[in-house]
Amino acid sequence: MSAKYGNKSIAPVDTVVIEQPQKLSRGRFAVVALIVAALLAAVIVAAGLRMDALDAMMLQVEEGALEQEALPADAPYLVFYRVGRALAIGVLAVFAIYAIIRIIDPKRRRPNRSVWGDIGVYLLLAIVAVAMVFPLVFSVAASLKPLDELFRFPPRVFPQHVTLDNYSDLFVTLSQSWVPFSRYLVNTVLITFVGTAGHLVVASMAAFVLAKYDFPGGRLFFSIVVTALMFSGYVTGIPNYIIMSRLKMIDTHWAVILPAFAAPIGLFLMKQFMEGIPTALIEAAHIDGAGEFRIFWTIIMPVVKPAWLTMIIFSVQNLWNANAATVIYSESKKTLVYALQQIQAGGVARQGQAAAVTVIIMLVPIAIFIASQNQILETMASSGLKD
Amino acid sequence: MKFSMGKYMKLKQDNFRYGWDKAKRMKVCYLFLLPYAILFFAFYILPIMTSMYYSFTYYNILEPPKFIGLQNYINLILQDQVFLTAVKNTFVIAVITGPIGYILSFLFAWFINELPRWLRTIAVVVFYAPSIAANAFVIFAYIFQGDVYGYLNAFLMRFGFIDGPVLWLSDPKTIMPVLIVVILWMSMGTGFLSFVAGLQGVDKKMYEAGYVDGIRNRWQELYYITLPSMKPMLLFGAVMSITQAFNVCDVPRALAGYPSTDYAARTIVTHLFDYGFSRFEMGYASAIATVLFLVMILCNKAIQSMLRKVGT
Repeated sequence: MSAKYGNKSIAPVDTVVIEQPQKLSRGRFAVVALIVAALLAAVIVAAGLRMDALDAMMLQVEEGALEQEALPADAPYLVFYRVGRALAIGVLAVFAIYAIIRIIDPKRRRPNRSVWGDIGVYLLLAIVAVAMVFPLVFSVAASLKPLDELFRFPPRVFPQHVTLDNYSDLFVTLSQSWVPFSRYLVNTVLITFVGTAGHLVVASMAAFVLAKYDFPGGRLFFSIVVTALMFSGYVTGIPNYIIMSRLKMIDTHWAVILPAFAAPIGLFLMKQFMEGIPTALIEAAHIDGAGEFRIFWTIIMPVVKPAWLTMIIFSVQNLWNANAATVIYSESKKTLVYALQQIQAGGVARQGQAAAVTVIIMLVPIAIFIASQNQILETMASSGLKD
Repeated sequence: MKFSMGKYMKLKQDNFRYGWDKAKRMKVCYLFLLPYAILFFAFYILPIMTSMYYSFTYYNILEPPKFIGLQNYINLILQDQVFLTAVKNTFVIAVITGPIGYILSFLFAWFINELPRWLRTIAVVVFYAPSIAANAFVIFAYIFQGDVYGYLNAFLMRFGFIDGPVLWLSDPKTIMPVLIVVILWMSMGTGFLSFVAGLQGVDKKMYEAGYVDGIRNRWQELYYITLPSMKPMLLFGAVMSITQAFNVCDVPRALAGYPSTDYAARTIVTHLFDYGFSRFEMGYASAIATVLFLVMILCNKAIQSMLRKVGT
C-alpha cells in the first residue's frame, strides 16, 4: 500500500501502524440516513397537521363556538407537538447540511472523525447556532408584532399578523421629542465618521513605522499599546472626564472622537498585518527615491486595505454604540444610541418600540460585518500576540 | 570591581550614544508616530496615571484634590461591604465566563474550520453577531421578564416546571445565573474571529506530516499541531477574554437595574461607575479603577505564562 500525499508517492512507513476506524459502508449509511430522514419528515408533517387542527379548535373555543370540554385529550400538549416539530426540523436540517458537505467535499482528510462523530459535531453546532441567533431573531419578531400579540398569554415567538406599526410609532415618538430625531442621527453619524477616519490615518501611520522600522523605543511603545488593549473605557473614564474638562471639551463631540483616534486595538491589528508586507517593497521604493510619506501613502496604504476594513468595523462598532452620556450633556448633541436607550427605558407601554429600536441599532454593525467579513478574517489571521 | 564598573558605564554610554544616533537618523519614524503617541498618551496613559494619583486623594471635582494617603484603599477593603460584594460578583462572572467563553470560542472556531467556505461564512456571522450587535442583549429583559408575559416564565409554566412567575431579574438568587448566561451568549467576540482566521492559516502540510508520524485522531492533532501553531492567536484571545470578563458593566446595568436588588448584580465596574458618575467621589472611584487594573494585569501575566506551556 502506498499512500499519496500531494503529488508524491511515499513508501509505506513500517513502524507506524495506522488504524482505520471501523466505518459503516457508504451504501448502508445512505440507507440508514434515508430511513431516518423519511421518519423525520413524517413526524414533521404529522405534527404540523395535528397542530393546525388543534389550533383551529382552540380558536373555536375562544370564539365560544366550541365547549372547553369538547377538546380532544391531547389539546393541552400542543406545545409538545410544536417542540417536537422544531426538533425534527432541526435534525433534518443537520442531515441535509451533512449530506451537502459530503457531496461538495467528498475527499476528507485523515485522521478522520467517524461518521457519527461528524454528525454529533454538526448537531452541536446547529443547536448552539440556533441558541446564538434566537435572541436576535426574537427581537426582530417582537418588533413586527402588533400590540395585542406583545401582551398575549402564552406569548409566542413569531408574530401571526406581521405589522410595521412599531416602527411607525417609533418615528411618531421620536418626532415628538424635544430635539428632532434627525439631530441624534446626524450626531452619531458625525462622531462615527470623523472618529473612524481619524483613527484610520493616525493609527496606520504609527503602525507603519512600528511594523517596518526598527527604531529606539518602538518596541517599548508597542508593548505599552498591547497592555492598553486591556483598558476598558470604564477604567479610563473618570480621569478622561477630568482631562476633557481641562481641555474644555466636555459637552462637545471631540470628547468622544479624540480618544477613539488612539484606540489600541486598531493600531495593534494594523501593525500585525503590516508586518506581513515584504520589506523589499519599501526598499525598492527607497531606491526609486520615494520619501517615507509617499511610501506610506501610495505603496503601503493600498496594500493593507483588508486591515482598513477591520479597523473600520471595530471603530464603527465602538462609536456607533457610544451613548456618551458621561461627557455630553446638551440634548442637541446627544447620540442616537442615547436617544434610543431612553425609549427602551420607557417601560411596558414602549415594549414594541423598544424592540424596533434594538433592531435598528444592531443592524448597522452586523451589516458592515457581513459586507466586509472576508477582509476582516484575512486581517485577523495576523492578529497573534508573539511573546 | 571598579574597573568592571567603569567598563559597564562605558558600555551603557556607548549604547546610549548608538541609540541616540540611530534615533536621529530615523527622525521621520518619530514624526509618523507622533500624532498617535500624543493622543494615546493623553487618553490612555495619562488617565491611568492620574487615576493612580487620585486614588490617594479625596477629590470631588469641586474642591481641589486633598492627599489622604491609603485611606481610600483602607475604606475600600475594610468598610465598603458593597465593594466586597462587587468583587465577589466580578470574580464569579470572570472565572465562569472568561474560561468557558474562551474555550467555547476556540472549540467552535475549530469545529467550523473544515466546513465549506459559504457555510463557514454563515457560521462566523451567526456566532459573532451577538457580540457585535450593540446592545441587543436588552432583549433578554423580555425573555427573562418577571411576570407571566416573560417568555421563559410562560414557557416554564406551560410545562409545569414552576407554578407562578419567577422574578428572574429582581431575585438576588437568580440574577447572577441569568447574567452569566447573557454574558456567555456575547462571549464569542474578537478572540473568536482571531481563532477562525488563525486556524485557516495553519499549514496543511503539518497535518499530513503529523499523520505519517502517527497521529491517530483529531484530539492528538489539536494538541500536538494546531494549538502550538496557534499560540499567538491564543495569547491575543486571552487578552480579549480577560478584558471582557472583568469589565462587565452594561449587561447588569441594563438587565438587573442600577442599583440592583440587594446589590446582587453589582460588579467592580458598576461600583466604579456609581462612585465616579453618580456620587462624584473621584478619588474613591480611582482607587476602584486602580485595583481593577492591577487585577487584570496580574491575570493576564498568569494566563500568558500558562498558555506558553501548551503543546510543549
